Amino acid sequence: MGDVVQIYEDYKDHADFLTIYVREAHPTDEWQMKSNVKDDVCYAQPKTLEQRVAIANDFTKRFKFPLPFGIDDMSNAANDAYAAWPERLYIVDESGHIAYRGGMGPFHYTPAEVREWLATRYGAVKHEAPKPPAEAPPAATAGTAAQPAPPPPAPTAAAK
Amino acid sequence: MEESAGERLEQNGMNRFWKWLGAIFGILLAAAFAVLSYMAGSPKDAYGMVRYALPHMHRGTLKVGSDAPDARIVALDGVSRFHIRERTQARPLVLVFGSFT
Repeated sequence: MGDVVQIYEDYKDHADFLTIYVREAHPTDEWQMKSNVKDDVCYAQPKTLEQRVAIANDFTKRFKFPLPFGIDDMSNAANDAYAAWPERLYIVDESGHIAYRGGMGPFHYTPAEVREWLATRYGAVKHEAPKPPAEAPPAATAGTAAQPAPPPPAPTAAAK
Repeated sequence: MEESAGERLEQNGMNRFWKWLGAIFGILLAAAFAVLSYMAGSPKDAYGMVRYALPHMHRGTLKVGSDAPDARIVALDGVSRFHIRERTQARPLVLVFGSFT
């Protein structure tokens, strides 16, 4: 999820984004994962649209999810049309054609491919590597030449 | 009517054949379940995958260049509706499908 949010932040000035909430993958009444229990993400499979809407709202509020959001209705029309379950990524171009079709999640869910597609069109957005923890400078000793100041960090390339 | 020795031999051969076939099938099934259990994390998860996930997983028929299907989507307020098509206009549209769990 973090990858997709970062891609959104990097490319929202160039592309539109839409998250579509589809039927749950690991609800409590089907194939629940231990990780969901650990993360306190325990929901039964919604049987009504109201239940789906409630879970979708829980999700967006809990994670302050910034992407535009929609919900597949109980006919699962979007899911069926895009073979989307459990998770999948697509890019639709300006002419309404599929420009990128991601693999089926979770094993072939690859946000990096979406980033690559956008980067090819709009330029790569580089992020600074996280800085290592600052080390305490060695104690200055008499007669030690002053060390030159480290170079400033390279500027982050913004999207073209 | 008495069975001839040849018929008995043939019958025994067939029985042996079916036993071997059953054994091989059982071993393959056990091996497949073991591999699935390893992939899914545990035998319980393997069962969950077979029972709940596989029936819903489809590759679909869309390809790059296909017309993007339209569908009616419900907004977060639970009342408003919009179409995916409405979002495909002057810019590419990144579609992110998923759920909470």
